Amino acid sequence: MKYVDEFRSGELAKALVHELDGLVEPGRALKVMEVCGGHTHAIYKHGLEDLVPPEIDFVHGPGCPVCVIPMGRVDDAIALAERPEVIFTTFGDMMRVPGGRGSLLEAKARGADVRMVYSPLDALELARRNPDREVIFFAIGFETTAPATAITLLRARADGVPNFSAFCNHVTIGPPLKAILDSPGLQLDAFIAPGHVSTVVGTRPYDFIARDYGKPVVVTAFEPIDILHATVMLARQLREGRCEVENQYTRVVRRDGNPRALAVLAETMELRDTFEWRGLGWIERSALKLRPGFAEWDAEARFELPGTRIEDPRACQCGEVLIGAIKPWECKVFGTACTPERPIGTCMVSSEGACAAYYNYGRLARRRDRVPA
Amino acid sequence: MTLDAEHCITCGDVAVTGTVVEVAGVTATVEVDGARELVGIELVEPVAVGERLLCHAGIALEKVAP
Repeated sequence: MKYVDEFRSGELAKALVHELDGLVEPGRALKVMEVCGGHTHAIYKHGLEDLVPPEIDFVHGPGCPVCVIPMGRVDDAIALAERPEVIFTTFGDMMRVPGGRGSLLEAKARGADVRMVYSPLDALELARRNPDREVIFFAIGFETTAPATAITLLRARADGVPNFSAFCNHVTIGPPLKAILDSPGLQLDAFIAPGHVSTVVGTRPYDFIARDYGKPVVVTAFEPIDILHATVMLARQLREGRCEVENQYTRVVRRDGNPRALAVLAETMELRDTFEWRGLGWIERSALKLRPGFAEWDAEARFELPGTRIEDPRACQCGEVLIGAIKPWECKVFGTACTPERPIGTCMVSSEGACAAYYNYGRLARRRDRVPA
Repeated sequence: MTLDAEHCITCGDVAVTGTVVEVAGVTATVEVDGARELVGIELVEPVAVGERLLCHAGIALEKVAP
């Protein structure tokens, strides 16, 4: 398949690993945070951890929107879903995420009308077909998913669909990275930045990482050759004493992103003063809400929400996993009390979550001996 | 845009590449691995049959360089 097969070539992978062998300093750990859950998933799926020199330590970052949603927002979603007039629509991944009052799947089992959609446009269509019901879309995700919500809102306004609204939980990529970089004692050498978020926002939002924190960044895609190539580019920057934002994913990512996508986001949404991130706490200007002009389609403006804040379960160490402080297998409940079938923490719910990816592909016994930092 | 069970739609980083087979207004029919889907093309207009689009959650996010 074009754009897949050539990026899974074993020969290319061998050549890149050989190049990497020559770039790392024997015995010195090189900690590379892959920000995006999609990269985490690909690293485990393709066994890249076992392919690269032992000095390379992939640290899994906070770029899984399912993993960072706080439990209170899930409870808010459930409260909306339980309203008798509501058809609550969500991406399938959010169905099993546990809140304080169980998950949306459990709410559905109790009788709430919760439906999975692939696109917010499907939710809008559902609203058109059910004019006597209120259709709410659980809008969640980084800048990759937010434009789909924005386009849907613009179409709802243009077509005058009054019974559609969005429960907005969209988040932005820059502020959590800054929060991680400001975490005391965190040792990271470089960043692999997300490919498709960058399709929308471009590479400029990462400039501060290189400029202010002195860490190299490479934007890359999700095939194994992409990730290995990005790792080589990072190791080369470090070896040559450079510190830049480079773009490996040139087939779709541009320096300025997609200006039209940024324009529809700016037209429909604005930054919240602050937003709670699971594992990272409250981060200023890190999430989006609908602009007042779209209040008619804003579920938060139209419906009452409990808005309660819920502490994470004490046994759960998702917070430490999300900032790369511990590896999934180092969590007390990993693979025992917390499994993909019965998750306690969000990192085990989403297939892009570090714990689920490690559980599904690494299982329990594939811990590697790492070079000490 | 059929996604296998390993993937999470919420994470935009599972966007997929599809080839345009038809364009009607702000909607294009794209073919991904033999399956056809409709996507909004407001963010990438104008598009032509045969072009490849990076699609996510029912929206084309960008054209893929040939």
